[in-house]
Amino acid sequence: MLNVVLKQLKNHPALIPLFVFIGGGATMSALYLGRLALKNPECAWDRKNNPEPWNKLGPNDQYKMFTVNMDYSKLKKDRPDF
Amino acid sequence: MAHPSQLGFQDAASPVMEELLHFHDHALMIVFLISTLVLYIIVAMVTAKVTNKYIIDSQEIEIVWTVLPAVILTLIALPSLRILYLMDEINDPHLTVKAMGHQWYWSYEYTDYENLGFDSYMIPTQDLSPGQFRLLETDHRMVVPMESPIRVLVSAEDVLHSWAVPALGVKMDGVPGRLNQTAFIASRPGVFYGQCSEICGANHSFMPIVVEAVPLEHFENWSSLMLEDA
Repeated sequence: MLNVVLKQLKNHPALIPLFVFIGGGATMSALYLGRLALKNPECAWDRKNNPEPWNKLGPNDQYKMFTVNMDYSKLKKDRPDF
Repeated sequence: MAHPSQLGFQDAASPVMEELLHFHDHALMIVFLISTLVLYIIVAMVTAKVTNKYIIDSQEIEIVWTVLPAVILTLIALPSLRILYLMDEINDPHLTVKAMGHQWYWSYEYTDYENLGFDSYMIPTQDLSPGQFRLLETDHRMVVPMESPIRVLVSAEDVLHSWAVPALGVKMDGVPGRLNQTAFIASRPGVFYGQCSEICGANHSFMPIVVEAVPLEHFENWSSLMLEDA
C-alpha cells in the first residue's frame, strides 16, 4: 500500500503538500484529543486511583493548554486555608 | 443596543468583544476576497470564447492550490484559537455577581460584602416611558463598576436559560443545578442590553438583561441605596 503511494508521489509531486497538511492536521488533532483524554480534570477515568481529579486543582493551576493574558501562577492567594 | 436594520455587531463595550469584532472583520475580508475570486473565475469561464481541450494535469498549479488554502486556513485558525482561550480566562475579578434565571425574569445577587439581591422584570410595553426601548428595559438593572473585571456566575432555578449581553461579548447558559462562570470588563460607562438566549417557555422573549456600567462611586452609592430599600 505504501509502495503504491510512493510510486504515485514520484509521478505527481504535487501530492506532497497535501500529505503534509492533512497529516499534520490529523496529528495535531489526535495529540490534542489525547491531551484532553489524559490530562483533563473534568472527568474521572480511574475510579480507584484517581476518583475525583477536579478536587486536585490548586488555585494557581493552569489547566487550559494556552493562556493569552493571564499568568495563573502569579495570582495572589487571598482566601483562607481550610 | 441593536438598531433597526442593523447588519453588523453592536459597538464593543469590553475588550473581548473588540477582539471578536476585529477577528470577524479579518475572517469576513478573507471570505469576500475568495468569493470575489471565485465569482470572477466563474464569469470568465462562462464568457470565454476559446477553450483548451488538451490540458491533462499540471503539478505547479496543484501545489499552489493546496498550499495557499492551507496557509489561509492557518491565518484564520491562529487568531481564532487565541480568542477562544482569551474568552475563557478569568482575570482576578473585583466583583462577583450571581445571575439566576427564572421563568420569566432574572435575579441578581451581590453577596461579596453584604447580601444584596433583587429581581429584574421586563417593563411591559404599556408602562414604558418615552425614550425607553420596547421589550428591552427592566425595572432593576444590573449595575456594575466600569473598567473592573466582573465575574458572573450564571445558573437557573427552573428550566434552561441563557444570560447574554452582545455588546459585552458575553453569553453563558443557565442550567438548573449547575454554576457556569463567565467574566467581562466594561471598558466604558453605559447601558448594555441583552435577551434570554435559551428557550424557556411562554415568555422567553420577554425576560431581558440590562447591564449598567458606572464609575465606582456611583456603584457604591447605588448598592447602598438598594440595600436600604430591601
